Amino acid sequence: MKRILFQLSMALVVFSIILTACAPAATQPAAPAQPAQTSPTSAPAPTQAEAKAPEPTAPPAEMPVSDIELWVAGRVTEAAPPPDDWAGYQIIKDKLHINLKLVMMPSTQTDQDAKVNAAAASNSLPDVFFVNRDAWSKLVQAGLVAKVDDLLSEMPIRTQTHYSDESRNKLVILDGVMYGLADPGTMPMTDALVIRKDWLDKLGLQSPKTLDDFMSVAKAFTFNDPDGNGKNDTYGFCAFIDGTGLNAAGVGPRFDWVYGAYGVPGIWNLTSKDSFQMNVRDPNYMKATEFIKRMNDEKVIDPDWPTLKKDEFRARWKQGACGMMHENFAALANKSNYKDFDANFPNGEWVPMTPPTGPEGKSADGLIIKNARIYAISQKAIDEGKGPAIARLLDWMADEEGYFLLGFGQEGVNYKLDADGYISTEGIPDKEKWTAQETQPLTQLANMVYIFSDVELKARYVAYKTQNGRTMDPLAYYTAFTKMPFVDSTGAGVINPPSNAADFVRFYSENIVQFVLGQKPLTEASWAEYVNGLDSLGAKDVEAEALKTLLSTGFVK
Amino acid sequence: MRTMKKSWDDVLFQVLVNLFLVSILVAMILPLWRVFVMSVTPLNYIDTKTFGIWLNPAIWDFEPYKQLLSHPSFLRATTNSAIITLGGVTINMLLTVPMAYALSNRRLPGRKVVITLVLIPFLFNAGMIPTYLVVSGFDLIDTYWAVILPGAINITNLLIMKSFFESLPDELEEAARLDGANDLQVLARVVLPLSKPILLTIGLFYLVGHWNEFFNAILYLNDANLQPLPVLLRNILLASNINEYVESGAFSSASVHAIKAASVFLTMLPMVIIYPWIQGYFTKGTLLGGVKE
Repeated sequence: MKRILFQLSMALVVFSIILTACAPAATQPAAPAQPAQTSPTSAPAPTQAEAKAPEPTAPPAEMPVSDIELWVAGRVTEAAPPPDDWAGYQIIKDKLHINLKLVMMPSTQTDQDAKVNAAAASNSLPDVFFVNRDAWSKLVQAGLVAKVDDLLSEMPIRTQTHYSDESRNKLVILDGVMYGLADPGTMPMTDALVIRKDWLDKLGLQSPKTLDDFMSVAKAFTFNDPDGNGKNDTYGFCAFIDGTGLNAAGVGPRFDWVYGAYGVPGIWNLTSKDSFQMNVRDPNYMKATEFIKRMNDEKVIDPDWPTLKKDEFRARWKQGACGMMHENFAALANKSNYKDFDANFPNGEWVPMTPPTGPEGKSADGLIIKNARIYAISQKAIDEGKGPAIARLLDWMADEEGYFLLGFGQEGVNYKLDADGYISTEGIPDKEKWTAQETQPLTQLANMVYIFSDVELKARYVAYKTQNGRTMDPLAYYTAFTKMPFVDSTGAGVINPPSNAADFVRFYSENIVQFVLGQKPLTEASWAEYVNGLDSLGAKDVEAEALKTLLSTGFVK
Repeated sequence: MRTMKKSWDDVLFQVLVNLFLVSILVAMILPLWRVFVMSVTPLNYIDTKTFGIWLNPAIWDFEPYKQLLSHPSFLRATTNSAIITLGGVTINMLLTVPMAYALSNRRLPGRKVVITLVLIPFLFNAGMIPTYLVVSGFDLIDTYWAVILPGAINITNLLIMKSFFESLPDELEEAARLDGANDLQVLARVVLPLSKPILLTIGLFYLVGHWNEFFNAILYLNDANLQPLPVLLRNILLASNINEYVESGAFSSASVHAIKAASVFLTMLPMVIIYPWIQGYFTKGTLLGGVKE
């Protein structure tokens, strides 16, 4: 019996080899120019010449059609997926010989992980899928995710536009092998300090340069009625505890600028192998916490900060309660957000503020953590021979046609390109514009093509006039933010949380908040006790494990 | 007829009890009221530090409701929820009632074995992955059946109903049989008419469960066109990126806070309306099913 099986297998192998030999040779697509640059700040806008880049070579007409299932994280979670008659399906079928089946992933990481894990357990992972890094590393260990190093050469355009950032690629490399495609995640340096210029002018103050200045301005904003309404309804600084997980432990990134002034922003000191540790072990971390406590004691910070949610925080500044804050540029300056503030305070004006310096002259607005949207390719898909088709599809998404179709819809229908090659909606009916709520399903895959190019940024963050005729340009805020000091902490992204992460983070954060609120005395003795508490929860093991990972991925040397 | 005169202690006790109950009522209604207030209040009209609790009738704005009710995703998701709920409850009742009735019959051969087999998955749930494998194996992924069939019979509901049927007087059944009724006729003409409280109670349990269907939907329904309201609601609630990172969104002309609040309010509205209608049966049914004579 075994012999017959062996003979059958061998016959199949030989037959496969013959078939493969008879198949037409795959044509390597030529690499066209890029639709735009990868750097959000320095690269020039695309030119007409760039827009007319050569297309990749189409696959031979007789090539069989491949079925590719793609699980994607949609750009607008509450909108529908692309409709059945979406132009992209037909183009992908005609030009790439691919029947694309799209599945929109759930909107939270927990739900996404549950869906991927269930599919993995039943060996029914899709061909290409969006996956969070923790789940991804487990799938790699289980052998369910394919290595992609070989595929990169089959998608030269996308490799250049999406996978040329070495530090981001490290997020998907295990033991020197690349097991995922690290698409650009969120833009770095989007959140920074801003201050109410109209309040500064009214009170005759200057933007603070040092932490002491900051406290003085905050006091004036709180107690000197900067809005002139005769009510005690303003605060020097507004914030909330933002983020979850180990890397946002403590009082969160909205207070990173305080820790930055003391040279200890974020959870980790990633400067070098020798200095690597959790920042809580640095005495400056306690001093920064003392400063936040002072802000709280002096009542210059919105007292609800420990319990506020993001929406509530944003309602506060839109309602004129805040003089300074650490905010996302788009959340602040996009018309859809700013209109409420503008309606309430037509003469109000937020301006970027250089982060104040600490006692040793240090300052940082926050951390740069380059994150990635990881797309993995299932081993099953590779085993079924779908690798080349997947590479073809991903490469098309990065070339001119795919980039504009997925990012902005159909040219002439949903957008136009102006003389400089930028996206314009002039002359497009309102309901057809790529920004209209009706057309959101057409650009659900935009996150698979966006690379923070000039074309995208200018299209997404449009300048407009405020009620009193002032020009409001969200990108001007972003540009100003990128010139502020930030500390690169991308390596923090590869540090796996400990098994008792929930307890660890809760202990870490609750104690910091209690110190700030005065519920626990903040002294050197109590701080040492706090650090000992972290050690009893395994902080030293967490550090040792983190260092090992950081060294192996090259984030710390 | 003489009425007993209440003492001051009794009156005081009643007042305190009622005050306590009213305070609980207020505590339960206040969040709902706040959600409603947020849903009809344009953000730029609010001049307090936070969303106001009290409505100023001059600034009511139903734009979020208009947008939601005219949005294809919302209408489609509501239709899906209605299909899943109605179809699910029908399947649930069609399977739970006969099984509970059969198991309530002490003369049923092998009754104890069947009850033991029913109790095993109740006590030792296999979990998500085996269920996924079964659903996937039957090729139910991307069909309404995937979210309806795995929970077709809820063991807790089955046991409550069985217990209720057991509490019905045997004499009624015997009288029907003497009149020539068979099992199905006894069930349909004698048992079910006497079982309105338990049927409505269990039906309500199933109804709420299906209306709130979320996890199975995200697991088994890859086709967004099949997904029910809770999935869309979750997406809307998490869609802070509507206004944060991009200039456009699916509900771009109303305040994101109001859209979120309106979607929460609209989603819970059917259940809020249904509950009071069958509240009387609900309490009675739960008590009857839980007591075994």
